[in-house]
Amino acid sequence: MSAGTRRGTRLSDQPVRFSFDGREYCGQLGDTASSALLAAGVRAMGRSIKYRRLRGVLTAGPEEPNALVTVGTAPAVIPNVAAPQLVLTDGLVMRSQNRWPTLRYDAASLLQAGGGFFGAGFYYKTFIWPSWHTYESLIRRLAGLGEAPGASTLGPVAIEHLSCDVLVAGAGAAGLAAARAAARAGARVVLCEREPVCGGELEFEGGLIDGHPAAHWTAATLAELASLGARLLTSTTLVGGSGGELIAHAEPGGLPGANAVYKIQPRAFVIAMGAVERPIAFIDNDRPGVMLLGAAERYLACYGVRAGTDVVLFANHDRVYATAARLVAGGIRVRAIVDTRSEAAVGLARLRGEHALSGTECLPGHAVLAAEGGRAVTGARVAPLAAPDQARTIRCDAILVSGGWSPALHAGLQDGGTRQFAAELGSFVASDQPRWRAIAGAANGVLELGEVLADGRAAGERAARLAGARGDGGVAPIAAGDGVPRLAPFWRSPASRAAEKRQFIDFQNDVTVADVRHSLAEGFVDIEHVKRYTALGFGSDQGRLGGLLGAAVLAECRGARLEDVGTSRLRPPFHPVTMRSLAGLRVGPMLRPARRTPLHDWHAANGAVLEAAGLWMRPRYYRANGSDAFTAGVAEAARVRTTGGIADGSTLGKIEVVGPDAGAFLDTLYLTKASTIKVGRSKYMVNLREDGMVLDDGIVLRLAADRFIATTGSAHGLHMLSHFEHYRDTEWSGRAVTVTDVTEAWAAIVVAGPPSLDALRVVLGADWHDVLGRLTHMDFASGRFAGHGLTVLRASFSGELAFELHCRPAIASRLWEALLAAGLAPYGLEALDILRVEKGYLVGSEFNGQTTPYDLGMDGLVGLGNACVGRELLDRPAFHEPSRPRLVGVRAGDGKARFLAGAQLTTAAEPTRPCGYVTSSVYSPALGEWVGLALVARAHAAEGTRLTARDPLRDGDRVVRIVPAVHFDPAGARMKS
Amino acid sequence: MTALVCPFCGPRHLREFEFHKTVPAPGAGAFARVYERVDSLDVSVEHWQHVGGCRGWLQVRRNPSSGAVLEIHLVGGGGGQ
Repeated sequence: MSAGTRRGTRLSDQPVRFSFDGREYCGQLGDTASSALLAAGVRAMGRSIKYRRLRGVLTAGPEEPNALVTVGTAPAVIPNVAAPQLVLTDGLVMRSQNRWPTLRYDAASLLQAGGGFFGAGFYYKTFIWPSWHTYESLIRRLAGLGEAPGASTLGPVAIEHLSCDVLVAGAGAAGLAAARAAARAGARVVLCEREPVCGGELEFEGGLIDGHPAAHWTAATLAELASLGARLLTSTTLVGGSGGELIAHAEPGGLPGANAVYKIQPRAFVIAMGAVERPIAFIDNDRPGVMLLGAAERYLACYGVRAGTDVVLFANHDRVYATAARLVAGGIRVRAIVDTRSEAAVGLARLRGEHALSGTECLPGHAVLAAEGGRAVTGARVAPLAAPDQARTIRCDAILVSGGWSPALHAGLQDGGTRQFAAELGSFVASDQPRWRAIAGAANGVLELGEVLADGRAAGERAARLAGARGDGGVAPIAAGDGVPRLAPFWRSPASRAAEKRQFIDFQNDVTVADVRHSLAEGFVDIEHVKRYTALGFGSDQGRLGGLLGAAVLAECRGARLEDVGTSRLRPPFHPVTMRSLAGLRVGPMLRPARRTPLHDWHAANGAVLEAAGLWMRPRYYRANGSDAFTAGVAEAARVRTTGGIADGSTLGKIEVVGPDAGAFLDTLYLTKASTIKVGRSKYMVNLREDGMVLDDGIVLRLAADRFIATTGSAHGLHMLSHFEHYRDTEWSGRAVTVTDVTEAWAAIVVAGPPSLDALRVVLGADWHDVLGRLTHMDFASGRFAGHGLTVLRASFSGELAFELHCRPAIASRLWEALLAAGLAPYGLEALDILRVEKGYLVGSEFNGQTTPYDLGMDGLVGLGNACVGRELLDRPAFHEPSRPRLVGVRAGDGKARFLAGAQLTTAAEPTRPCGYVTSSVYSPALGEWVGLALVARAHAAEGTRLTARDPLRDGDRVVRIVPAVHFDPAGARMKS
Repeated sequence: MTALVCPFCGPRHLREFEFHKTVPAPGAGAFARVYERVDSLDVSVEHWQHVGGCRGWLQVRRNPSSGAVLEIHLVGGGGGQ
């Protein structure tokens, strides 16, 4: 169905096809969904959430509460798209929401008959018997706004950080004037506008600026801004921010799920976000055909769409007359102008006389009591306010209503700012702004065009000065537009109590005047409570249309003043944001960076099951050895102790400490001295935290008199680095020591098992034969392999004869494959854990930040210790109390009895009060049973003590006994062979 | 406060920095240095590390109520590597 070509400021002639609720329509390029549907004669665009009342489009902006559509075809749909913001593209598929089976005939609309029963608060009082769950599935199907998507075709969202001198939010008259003044003064300006076209009300209100039409001035100002280097972001809405940073979402085409997010840090910020027109409540004011006055003007000027052929205007301010003239000029017949202000109070007799000539009835001191008609407006019931029973019907097909304008408060009330009541507007304005922020134009309560431009210019220039610019902002433009609109606050037409149930305040949540009165009767006096009880202000319009109206009705019911009632607290986001936009690019594999070892590709290609350990990807086990982690881990561990194995140890943290003071520096960071290590030797060392707890352990190698490498556990790597750097920059600053993270400069391969020495001799060749033979435990030697440096350290984390090979990443694969060829097989984290628990070696599970060296059985090291970080607080009496834990081994003595880390250990005397817990547990192939390490209170930690390991969620209860922590090869003979 | 001026790197976004702790009062003993914090509405002296940049440790004096940074320099006064 196509209409004749319409003319509008946003339209071009090119046709655009789209479908709505399964029917094909044709619009023009530049149309929004609502403008094209209105042009095609479609009045009904959705149903309300609770009563399922038929609804049409109320506004021409993002605060639209009724015409929310679902775009796309299942499952990749986008729900709750505001039709006035959705720019049409060819082939767009849309459907209405909250209706079943069709928009015209909705089954749940039968609920309307029970109007009073479903008022505010009914959820809390009904659906109780027999139990709420009986009704749950029905309610879940009926509730909610739109349907959640099952898939998404939208791409990731980029986040751009930018800083500027002046940020101006809103490119209407005030915003353009502010941006121009700031740019002329020499500031770097970012101008942000939520519509795709700039100008705000200038787009349709007309008027003259500096003698030229407003549209001309807008274009000229934008051109000047571009030439001055200002950045313009259109279709970009400011949604919130804090700490001086503002966040804006770009939603080109009006589709939610921004495709760019801007985080802007301005030196100064000008809020020119305008004011939102608000409705007046009367009976059935939610019928399709009731629209806001400014919206109708916008549809006419921008899209060439007439909101109706015969319309009635209903307002409480002067601007309705100028608007009527523009509507008449656009071909709409204005039947009547209903002005709630009395004749004497306003004195616009001349203006009214002009309108009377064109056939418009002017009715001062009147109000529209009700909208008549079922599926759409067919007439307006009008009566004098002095005598509401003398009502008559004026036939019309649209009622255009305006109760005034509410300045957009949100941006002015975060990060400081207070609310102030402006009596001449009947609304609140944000004031008490922090130094770096200002509000201009309609957002500041200024409504006359000349004043708006001056206000904007002043704010822009001041902002530029604050940001350090020194230039001049230029003179304010002279404007001739609609005059200052005088306004007399009017919130709702008179109605009987019963009829108040159909006077709508919040369209999106079906909140009526009766609901507000009812919540007051229930004892909810504060506006915040009324909001939550009635759901007023919830939803995507966030009370922009109905919030103030609800507060005014509450004030009336309470007999209080509106300024004392206030409105509910505004919180960001000011505009609905999707989770996609918040996630930005950090989705899926982009959530965290993946750190890969130099051998990663080999692992991936050879059946390794990789697991994230912190940010590192490490092989947990290899599929060739078993179908699951347990089987494979046991097989790999068993093999290491017989035919040997190799593991990728590149993730080990390595910190290089260099300088004449390096030894002394390390002395202060480790429990025992590093400076006494001989060149070519390494030592097992433990770090303490400042409070005396063990931080981590590692091996320190001395490469030269002034060069050490400190290794750390993989998990604590970055923390240790920061720890070292902290002391370098505090007590050791200015001294001769450098600290460098070399974790990624060296690949590490662990070679372990009885055949490891022979295999190494084969791989490294004759040059290394003697060197390797001379290496004793904790010795290392450096040399060359395949043209690159190689260091071989004899150290063991498995209790076997073992070596750590440190080489450049470039030759890691070659070395690895040579070792494989020599008969060694790879093993992963599972096996590594089994081997180390069998030997009682400790990792993060034991170095959990709550254990002291005494707890972990390192008394000997403490005895040898020196003055170091944490030493002072280590010497506390509390660290020797019987309640302190002691590291022990635990075994069940039964090959099949499993117990896991986390199982709580209890004594027979106190079965419900744990005296310790299992920190690590593995199935040991060498011993044929589960073995573990545990921390048990000293009083109960004697060898041989029987305890119960309690794990109610997994294994239940097991009897275990305490054994020495070294389960396998206690003498350590295998390692030293 | 969304940015800090690192003495080496210049003004950088706050997310590049990691807060460590509020510095204890000068002359405090070991226990106070580790466990006690100085809480003041007006001035907070803190240690931050520029982990996303030069990895230098910085001493920041700022007003915790307004977020304004009063002074920022390398802990230990300078030198470093």
